[in-house]
Amino acid sequence: MISNVSFAGGAMTPFNRRKDGSSFRDWARAAVQGALDDAGLEARDIDALIVASESDFFTMQLNPAALLADECGLIGVAAKRVEGGGASGHLAVHAGVAEVASGMACRVLVLGVEPSASHLKGADVGALYGLSFDAWTDGMTGIDSTSLYALSAQAFMARTGATLDDFARIAVRNRAHARMNANAHLPLDVSLDEVAASPVVASPYRRLDCSPLSDGAAAIILANASDLPARAQGRARFRAAVSAVDAVRLGERQDAGFFGGKQRAAQRAYEIAGVTAAEIGLAEVYDSYSGAQLQSLEALGFADVIAAERDGAFTAQGAMPVNLSGGLLGQGAPVGATGVAQVLTAALQLEGRYFGQQATHAPRYALVDTHGGIATLNAISILEAP
Amino acid sequence: MKYQMTLDYTIPFGDLQPYFDALRDGQALASKCDSCGIVAFPARTNCASCRDASMQWTPLTGTAHVLFRTDANGGSYALVKFDGADTTSTVALKNPENNTTIGTLVAPIGDAPGLWLTLIDTENEEHDGH
Ligand SMILES: [Zn+2]
Repeated sequence: MISNVSFAGGAMTPFNRRKDGSSFRDWARAAVQGALDDAGLEARDIDALIVASESDFFTMQLNPAALLADECGLIGVAAKRVEGGGASGHLAVHAGVAEVASGMACRVLVLGVEPSASHLKGADVGALYGLSFDAWTDGMTGIDSTSLYALSAQAFMARTGATLDDFARIAVRNRAHARMNANAHLPLDVSLDEVAASPVVASPYRRLDCSPLSDGAAAIILANASDLPARAQGRARFRAAVSAVDAVRLGERQDAGFFGGKQRAAQRAYEIAGVTAAEIGLAEVYDSYSGAQLQSLEALGFADVIAAERDGAFTAQGAMPVNLSGGLLGQGAPVGATGVAQVLTAALQLEGRYFGQQATHAPRYALVDTHGGIATLNAISILEAP
Repeated sequence: MKYQMTLDYTIPFGDLQPYFDALRDGQALASKCDSCGIVAFPARTNCASCRDASMQWTPLTGTAHVLFRTDANGGSYALVKFDGADTTSTVALKNPENNTTIGTLVAPIGDAPGLWLTLIDTENEEHDGH
């Protein structure tokens, strides 16, 4: 169990498609200042910066950690960038946890940022995302992310009996959660029929089953509680930070619809934290697509996920609320910032400070789940309430 | 600012070069594990099942059965099982207007060395013997 790493504070910018002329450097500065304010710290209190950004193709900036340290006034800090596809932000948090737990650094600032929407045309981003899988095989067929997820979802549906209605319910609910979140990209009031009537992207997935490309930044500070001022005492603590990979090619998995790498990461996380899935009271789950939320919940070890989904277990009033932020479907997905914002959400929920939809039953443990590829590189954290 | 960049990659395939050479000719060349005998297509340099790094090349007929398919604006793709392979493969469908579930590997369309499948009309075969 990790026992000495606290969430000290954090902040995020709105996730959306920026049309105001602001740059990713501006968003990074805003998120960092917000995190420092929330923790009651100043830039000079930070001794390490870990930046998450998925691709230099998006930012058009190599060596972004040095650039952003300079930009955010973090003079002389240790700095590095962490990358793991869609899991980049969460893996950067894990690197920060490791630095604090090992004593390498006292107060680590984890900054995720991505201009996923505004810098390039959507088709160009899609083409780059296509290289997130095995670029030489899957990538060279021209298959895109949505099509791969669609194949996996069909295998999941065939095995479990999950239906498109189950997927659509998730697409609707996460957007409804987003309506409570001022930072959300897609705070939509949509119906099941509207999901089913939205244009097909890759059958069976339709437009409203897909998460958007977003711009934005999120930052959190991690530290040993003894290295924090009074303002940042009594905050959420890390109990496990685990990652695991699956076969990179969907066709080499025993079941193309099962997220086996995620299951492996989750089982180890529960062991390390000393909790069971049944004790998790809230989760932020990687819903890059509506069906992927259900596939992820299955792999995370929650019992009878199809029945639980239909019974309302994953609603704000349920036993294990999922994606009260809106998730990627509702809050949005500026890749490097996504996992950082998921951890921020979980920590604030545990502390009773969350700015959006809160859980009816205050959770003791929260799980954060993020992945890159198609659940290929899986990152999981378990946090405990103060 | 507006900024454009054109990148012109030259990427060697190393130990997997025979797989890509065969693919260019429309031939399915799989790898077979020396230890456990698992046949992987696309080919691998090590065995995903037992982790042995000793592999032999083994040709497949190129015939595949469609397990799942998806149709998108940008093209149609499928998860298929090639005859003789123990793994499944993601392929692009060359003639997605055909709804049959058997196809055969064809040489890649364009410069990219992807797996392309032509779906074949199986009506006559299915009626054989009935
Ligand atoms: Zn083997």
